[in-house]
Amino acid sequence: MTMQSTELILLAAGSNAALITFLLYTLAVFGIAAFSNQMLKGKSFISEYFLGSRGLGVWAFALTFAATSASGGSFTGFPSKIYSHGWVLALWIGAYVVVPICTMGLLGKRINQVARISGSITVPDVLRDRFESARFGLMAVVLIVFFMVFNLVAQFKAGAMILKTLLSDVEIFHRAAEFFHTVMEPWSFLGTDSEYLICLLAFGIAVIIYTTYGGFHAVVWTDVMQGIVMVVGVLIMLPLAIMMINDLAAKDASSDASGMSYVTQEMSKLVPPVPTEAQLQVNSPAATDRLIATGTWISTESAEGTLRLFRTGNDAEIVAGQQVTAVDAPIKLIELVNASDIKQVLENPSSYTVVRDLQLVGLKQTPYKYGGSPEHKGTYVTGPGPSPDSDIGFLPLSLAFSFFFMWAISGAGQPSSHVRLMAFKNTDTLKKAIFTVAIYYTLIYFPLVMIFCCSRLLMPGMEMESDRIMPAMAVFLTEGVGMGWLAGLLVAAPFAAVMSTVDSFLLMISSAVVRDIYQRNINPYASEAKIKKMTYTVTIIVGTAAMLGAVNPPQFLQDIIVYTGSGLAACFLAPTVFMLYWPRSNKEGCMTGMLCGFAAHFSMYFLGVFTNGSFFKPHRFIDMDPIIVGLFVSFLATYIGCLISPAPPLRLVKKYFYKRKELQRT
Amino acid sequence: MHIDSMDSPSENDGMELYTDQLDPTFVNSRREAVIIFCAWLVALCWCVPFCYLNGYDVADPENISITLGMPSWVVWGIAMPWIAADVFTVWFCFFYMKNDDLGVSPEELAAIAAEGN
Repeated sequence: MTMQSTELILLAAGSNAALITFLLYTLAVFGIAAFSNQMLKGKSFISEYFLGSRGLGVWAFALTFAATSASGGSFTGFPSKIYSHGWVLALWIGAYVVVPICTMGLLGKRINQVARISGSITVPDVLRDRFESARFGLMAVVLIVFFMVFNLVAQFKAGAMILKTLLSDVEIFHRAAEFFHTVMEPWSFLGTDSEYLICLLAFGIAVIIYTTYGGFHAVVWTDVMQGIVMVVGVLIMLPLAIMMINDLAAKDASSDASGMSYVTQEMSKLVPPVPTEAQLQVNSPAATDRLIATGTWISTESAEGTLRLFRTGNDAEIVAGQQVTAVDAPIKLIELVNASDIKQVLENPSSYTVVRDLQLVGLKQTPYKYGGSPEHKGTYVTGPGPSPDSDIGFLPLSLAFSFFFMWAISGAGQPSSHVRLMAFKNTDTLKKAIFTVAIYYTLIYFPLVMIFCCSRLLMPGMEMESDRIMPAMAVFLTEGVGMGWLAGLLVAAPFAAVMSTVDSFLLMISSAVVRDIYQRNINPYASEAKIKKMTYTVTIIVGTAAMLGAVNPPQFLQDIIVYTGSGLAACFLAPTVFMLYWPRSNKEGCMTGMLCGFAAHFSMYFLGVFTNGSFFKPHRFIDMDPIIVGLFVSFLATYIGCLISPAPPLRLVKKYFYKRKELQRT
Repeated sequence: MHIDSMDSPSENDGMELYTDQLDPTFVNSRREAVIIFCAWLVALCWCVPFCYLNGYDVADPENISITLGMPSWVVWGIAMPWIAADVFTVWFCFFYMKNDDLGVSPEELAAIAAEGN
């Protein structure tokens, strides 16, 4: 197989490191699970398994909170967006300046206290006990399971895709995939991508086993390890990226800038590549079938004699005896239009192989709707950033506001965060953990923006597979400074991010079924042994079902993650805020708010089917994200619902808002 | 099923256990939540308008103002507020937030009782 691009060549070089890292990593995770299982002994099983007996210290609490929040999106989708849209991503992620203090501080102390007063172990438990309403608890369970199951399937797919990228050039992996392919043939429902399936099985089985065996403590301590891997990965990448940029700047006689100044100056001159569709043609009929792989660089000459450089976005084949690829399957390409990008590719033949014997016929070019014309230079260093499909750019003002809500406020409404807020030991732990997460996010998110702005200059032409920019950049940087072995650690970061999210969600669904449905509604007197057996069984069943759901995964991965995350916030934030801070709140109002939040958020997506042609292209009321509509409706409905329904029992108000006499005596 | 069994407890059960004073943890948490919400509002009102006014529709982007190697609007609109927010977090966590008692959960009480025995 001929390597056609720099990232594939380098990925191959670093792949063994990736495989070894993955194996070591998995071993470490199993070790933590075994240790956690030992901790279950001698304690209340359900409290220890689902909540760690409310005993999390600073590091465990801070890193599990941070790692669970930073899903695969932080290390795949976010770098991809920085690469595609430039510096405006600093504003897109800008709310992270206050995310730690908002998501942990707004509700943390109070939800922990209320959960202790009521003895609650899960989020539906808190709602149920706070209002003494089993119906409310069940409603919360249904919504959590609905959203989390979809999210879990999407996260399983993300984990498998990342693993597939990491192992893409490991020989033994390909052999296993070939064997698997023959085994899969009679089972058409398993699909045709045997590499993906192997990765899904490896990823899924590992997560299911360690989560089932170790419970909450396993999830927390693997999160800690994963959180450390993430921050170390980013902190190593930043100086490496700047070193590589300095090398590039030193070769550029037209500029005396270096480091990030060079990056910004050069980015200000860039124009996005031009998305193109064409057929590929050779000069004479091919003697044998000729495969042109995804990522092949193709150089042609225009009628005026100027050089043009394209990169393929999918596989193509010229059949023996033919001169062109099939008419009914045009090849997707991009054309680089910046002199500096073209120079970077052409002047590095050791890294980039350029094919020169192919012509492009039936060329159809669709420039970016925003930022696509040469007079639009500078869209990578200004807002709203280039966009291939929106004529108002990537981040118009209304969306910038929406994302400030999305990250900070809706982040505070995630049940997966609430569970962690119920698990810390005391207020001192909370204070130190907020500070720790603030520093942690500062060290991760802003450096990521800098690193992947550098990647725009170092690795041009990745637009069509920008989701792979993180592992590709990790390998590129480490090979560039002669430390290929380091690639394994760096590429483990996105994998760790997905794993830490999946295990948390898996445990949440399992706790919803065992604790909130079975123990609290069907069999309150079930023995601990029975609960234990059921917990293990349910965790395995839920994990396996989600894994099977990801065998033929949904197409809109990132969209599902956004829909479920914002939907959970639209349902849970307002009732949670009111139940914690407003003594007049009652079950009628909070249940109304939860349902109205769900309905308003869902209706924006449903309207998208009619206005934008897809459920995952939601209708944007005055250009705002559906989360704004969902939160607004939910808060308003909860408030009005509480006011027009009877006041809550005084006994409940006293229990959750007034000082106990015993406390006075002590 | 025990769905309805919790919806009809006696109105005055356990009332005698409580004083007429609001729980200090609740009062402090609410005050702290208001401060945090204000911090979010300040961040929103600074970051988004500042970036919009200085980083959107720039007349000559090829000669964009650069500070510390980044577009100046990113530095003053995001990076500096980020540092300011971290300083605020330090102040809030270590000098403002109260060390409130979070109480003892039933299972913790049971564990204490078991140790006592």
